Amino acid sequence: MKIPSTSLSTRQLGGYVCSGCTRQLRRQRRSYATSTVNPDLYDVVCVGGGPAGLSLLAALRSQPATANLKIALVESQRLDATRNFQLPPTQFSNRCSSLTPSSVRFLEQVGAWQHVDQKRVQSYEEMQVWDGVTGARIEFDWPAEKRGQTIAYMNENLNLTSGLLKRIDELGGVEVLDGQKVEDIALGSETEDFDLSSWPVVSLSGGRKLAARLLVGADGANSPVRAFAGIGSRGWDYERHGVVATLQMEGPGWGGESKIAYQRFLPTGPVAMLPLPGDYSTLVWSTTPALAAHLKTLSPKDFIAMVNAAFRLSPVDLAYMHTQSDGQADELAWRSQHTNFDQHRIPQQVIGVQEGSIASFPLKLRHADTYIGERVALVGDAAHTIHPLAGQGLNQGQGDVESLANTIQYAVTHGQDIGVRMSLEPYNAERYAANNMLLGVVDKLHKLYAVESGPIVPLRSIGLRAVNALGPVKQFFMDQAAGTGVKIL
Amino acid sequence: MPLQPTSLRNLHLLLRGTPRFVQNQFHTQWQIQSRSQSTASSVNPIEVSHFNALASSWWDPHGSSRLLHLMNPLRHDFIRSCHASQPTPPGSNLRFLDIGCGGGIFAESAARLPSTASVTAVDPSPEVLAVAKAHARRDPALQGKLTYLNTSIEGLPRPRGPDEQYDVLSLFEVIEHITHPADFLDACAQFVKPGGWIVMSTIARTWTSWLTTKVVAEDVVGIVPKGTHDWEKYINEEELRGYFLRERGWNSPRVMGVVYVPGLGWTRVKGSEKVGNYFFGIRKDE
Ligand SMILES: Cc1cc2nc3c(=O)[nH]c(=O)nc-3n(C[C@H](O)[C@H](O)[C@H](O)COP(=O)(O)OP(=O)(O)OC[C@H]3O[C@@H](n4cnc5c(N)ncnc54)[C@H](O)[C@@H]3O)c2cc1C
Repeated sequence: MKIPSTSLSTRQLGGYVCSGCTRQLRRQRRSYATSTVNPDLYDVVCVGGGPAGLSLLAALRSQPATANLKIALVESQRLDATRNFQLPPTQFSNRCSSLTPSSVRFLEQVGAWQHVDQKRVQSYEEMQVWDGVTGARIEFDWPAEKRGQTIAYMNENLNLTSGLLKRIDELGGVEVLDGQKVEDIALGSETEDFDLSSWPVVSLSGGRKLAARLLVGADGANSPVRAFAGIGSRGWDYERHGVVATLQMEGPGWGGESKIAYQRFLPTGPVAMLPLPGDYSTLVWSTTPALAAHLKTLSPKDFIAMVNAAFRLSPVDLAYMHTQSDGQADELAWRSQHTNFDQHRIPQQVIGVQEGSIASFPLKLRHADTYIGERVALVGDAAHTIHPLAGQGLNQGQGDVESLANTIQYAVTHGQDIGVRMSLEPYNAERYAANNMLLGVVDKLHKLYAVESGPIVPLRSIGLRAVNALGPVKQFFMDQAAGTGVKIL
Repeated sequence: MPLQPTSLRNLHLLLRGTPRFVQNQFHTQWQIQSRSQSTASSVNPIEVSHFNALASSWWDPHGSSRLLHLMNPLRHDFIRSCHASQPTPPGSNLRFLDIGCGGGIFAESAARLPSTASVTAVDPSPEVLAVAKAHARRDPALQGKLTYLNTSIEGLPRPRGPDEQYDVLSLFEVIEHITHPADFLDACAQFVKPGGWIVMSTIARTWTSWLTTKVVAEDVVGIVPKGTHDWEKYINEEELRGYFLRERGWNSPRVMGVVYVPGLGWTRVKGSEKVGNYFFGIRKDE
């Protein structure tokens, strides 16, 4: 039999979609000349080659039971840049995420972590979290055996996706259709031989049509797959932007080898400084769109001053500096003389900002009504978008992917059609409530701290003198940071 | 898991408690069966029309067959455990014969497994079989691997040799609809390869009564003098198995009890065959 150029090796065809069917369909293509191009059949079509989509494919290809599925990846961007991602050790991409130990364990299990450049990964062992209005700190009383252990790993998203792609290339067998946008998704039709009326058919900008036994939406917050499936997504915009930048620090940090993550809750939103290898850190500053825009207009020198101020000065001082069109560096120098702070509980001074690394992203909360439909599953940001204050977005996606890969594996080994809702139910059951709880808690954290004055502030400072009494919140940080789950109630 | 002593105790109680009932039931059935031997079918026509009515909702995951859908994966776990118990477990290229396939829940799933060479699935209800066939068209991968036949087991051509026999003959949620089990077992035997398995289950909570009142009682009651008060001595596990299986050329009986726990689904519970649903498997002598 002649294998169509677009499809894979014979081994590949050993999946659910038998070679006979492929042949059959191609024969049909000739005989039903009236119909438009017949789709090629796939077991899994994954739309979106971000962290979630690539992890899913690496997981499916690395598990023996699912390794024979016929899989295609559709990604609108070209993936060569990701695959060949390389930067000197003094430069870092501005999109970084903290990976929890459980995400890393999963990535190790699928054989991808080994392909992630470890010299560009930075673990941290300590967290400093405090309230910018009252100064109250969350004291993390890690149990003795946990002290000094890795809380999370900071890593550039590109270093992760590059490692995942290398792993997928190494495993082979995924048909990568990059640089091609999804133009349309519609249900298939009934022919003489088959009834594909429940199969989504994905039309690509390149002209290809792929019929999917299971269509996975790993296509980010504006998921076209979710829209096709008619799955609603609810939530709100925070009216906040996340300003990111790669920063050079005065040194490797107060802890030397042992690194510290910092987060200060300002009335406008939390500002976080997360360690990267060497003298570098990555910034995530959630603030109002206007202030974010203002930060982006500043000279490097003044931007650096604003970041240093964000961890040191009072919210009132900071607000004033936001009204200045420039001169923040001088302002900070002057104000610092009149402000006391415990050097070792705040990040070291920022001394440089990587050119072109300052960017901002609108922040929102979204949760799909369900993660599954007939022959559809959503993972990652397509299913949920979370405020970045707890560094959980990408990790939630890894949790989804691990669960979906297990669900698919179970379905395959028990002869179920992996696309039908019945087979996908365990995935939805396992992830939906857990993610929903996390979204809710992080949302409440944001709101709790985003109030500058009024009755809630004194409450925040005493009762919550804070936050130490807020057992659940602290527990949340500790559990989430350690990836031990959503044990927050 | 071998036959549980608990179920045997049940059997014992049942036989002691209602010996006449058991006997009468079988005599009646036996007579019916023998009278209509020429056109005999193991199938009860009332049951067939009952399943016709169910046909439309067979594949509705939230319909009346939901429990069956949920149970289906356990059937495969059970078959795997049967195979794993063999001195040399079989590899791939397995041939399945699914009797009373209904809408094809098990037949489709068995055909999808990479270790399956082919599945022949039969059901006496044309309506149900039409549903099964239409549904199988939704999955191109089933083509060539799954064959549906509108017949009962009696209508199937006799295999001419081991090549035409089956590695697994399945009877899921079927046994309670069979009028004369011992003969039925004998009929099935012709279709099973030496060393192959019959696997069965029931969701109707009548497995115990089927095993006890039908298969065993038929044999045991036939050989044990009426009114004997020596049941206890006579019916022990060893002898039971020895008789009704060995005489008919079967060995290695296995039971797995499962319970449906709302919110959790079907779970395997050791010893639950006392109260719940069962899988039962026996292997044909090699
Ligand atoms: C400021 C900020 C900081 C963050 N920090 C953290 C952190 O510290 N820790 C953490 O865990 N998470 C963090 N996150 C969240 C994290 O970045 C996201 O959760 C993660 O990138 C989502 O991955 P994904 O694969 O689901 O989606 P995406 O990364 O959005 O990938 C979707 C992919 O789908 C492709 N696509 C979309 N539409 C189509 C189409 N029509 N056709 C073909 N392809 C298409 C896109 O090109 C893209 O490659 C942060 C987010 C922000 C905004």
